[in-house]
Amino acid sequence: MKSVQFSVASRLEGAAAIIYPKGYLNNLSGESLVIECGVYIGKGITKIVVNFSETDLINSIGISMLLQIMEDLRNINGTICCTNMSKFLSDTFEMLGLMQHMLVFPVENDALEYLKTRKS
Amino acid sequence: MSTKLEKAMYNISALADLGQAITSEDAFHEKIQSVLYVITGTFLANKGAILFYDKSTQSLNTLTQKGFAQDDLDHLNPEELISLGRNKSCLIGDAPVMAVAGAEILAPIWVGDEFIGALLLGGWLTAGPLASEDLELLNVIANQIAIALNNHSLFMDLADKLEDNRRLYEEMRHIYHGTLQAFAAAIDAKDAYTKNHSHRVAKYSVAIARELGWNEHEIEGMYVAGYLHDVGKLAISNTLLNKVTPFTPEERTEIRKHSTLSRNITTKIKFPWKNVEDIVWHHHERLDGRGYPDALAEDSLSDGVRILTLADSFDAMTSQRPYREKMDVQSAIGELRKNLESQFDNKIMLVFCKVLAKEINGELPEPDILPHLDRNSDLSVISDLLEGIISELSAR
Repeated sequence: MKSVQFSVASRLEGAAAIIYPKGYLNNLSGESLVIECGVYIGKGITKIVVNFSETDLINSIGISMLLQIMEDLRNINGTICCTNMSKFLSDTFEMLGLMQHMLVFPVENDALEYLKTRKS
Repeated sequence: MSTKLEKAMYNISALADLGQAITSEDAFHEKIQSVLYVITGTFLANKGAILFYDKSTQSLNTLTQKGFAQDDLDHLNPEELISLGRNKSCLIGDAPVMAVAGAEILAPIWVGDEFIGALLLGGWLTAGPLASEDLELLNVIANQIAIALNNHSLFMDLADKLEDNRRLYEEMRHIYHGTLQAFAAAIDAKDAYTKNHSHRVAKYSVAIARELGWNEHEIEGMYVAGYLHDVGKLAISNTLLNKVTPFTPEERTEIRKHSTLSRNITTKIKFPWKNVEDIVWHHHERLDGRGYPDALAEDSLSDGVRILTLADSFDAMTSQRPYREKMDVQSAIGELRKNLESQFDNKIMLVFCKVLAKEINGELPEPDILPHLDRNSDLSVISDLLEGIISELSAR
């Protein structure tokens, strides 16, 4: 299988940052995801939506990166929402027990709607 | 698929990730960082550290970590860590030594009977307690890390030894060159008129060899030959060497022995460069076969011999002698030109002229010839002369 070079894009929507990881989250290049979220956290953003529509696969290294983001948000009482996850991703998160530490929505807009109505 | 099976598959996949991280071509630090990510991702730990035990200082060095306070890790006592578990991962529980660092699991890393480090984990995100199979998995992982750390340690030991050897070689080389220069000073001191002659001939020879494209090893051999070419003069009487009036035929025969004496002395030395003995032995040979000591034919003269012959003659002509005044630089170059093909080699002369022209034009940052020439020389005249010879010899 040809793997896509991992990259990250992002945008700010109201008080929430939306992060778009792209490619297989399986090596040190995934640190860019942690860094991207860290930039928003550093600016005082406490709500982060990670849209996984372009990331189908994740391995233990990717999970570790995600744990880091969850920990960083937990330290500031922030919220992480994961959206557009493939079945592989949601099954993996479910099996590892990660679902209890994040909010999961089918699509990005659902997460944004929820965050708009939620007090920070 | 049951959750237990899914978890087992995830663990197997994590071991594959670990293998990939350990065997990657990344630098050691990146490799060990990836390993830690694999482990923390596998066990859902927010804290993790891989520590390396330095036997020489009996201290633990943090190779990589996340989530711990570095200061806490710096204060860990390796002796207490070793006593907590040997070749087996363990829950630390209330062990006071680890409570400081906030670690919950210790996986000691051993190679044979040697403690080489430890893996610490803490800050679980999992709901339940760690199962015994999790500790088993951690043991497997610790063994994998042990191999990686041990390989790295062996590699670093080798790299250190290599560096020591390199330093030792440089020191010996430095001493060797110092000895060589002292030797040359002793040769030149026998004759008040040839002070620094060996040094200059070595420098000129190196300049020509470098311009010819020789490699550094070959150039160093040429440098040594330049320094030692007159070592045989140590066996010639001072009276003869400093004689003001022309030599008698017997005296000429005697003084001509110096090149063979040089060869006899240098053959006693096991040089790492080939042909040093040959170069010093034949530096008074000529292309027309009328040189000494063996009146060799042109075909028998190596480039090294041809370089030294030209460098030695050029310095002899531009230096004061007891029996004659020194020549100016352009006259000496003219003399070399006049004796091309009979005494001096066209190719070597061309290269000599090119390198001297470059030095005069400031194209070489560390000139070897120019600093030793008469300061009153008219460089523009010399430059024109050199350009003429270069054109002439290049056209041949």
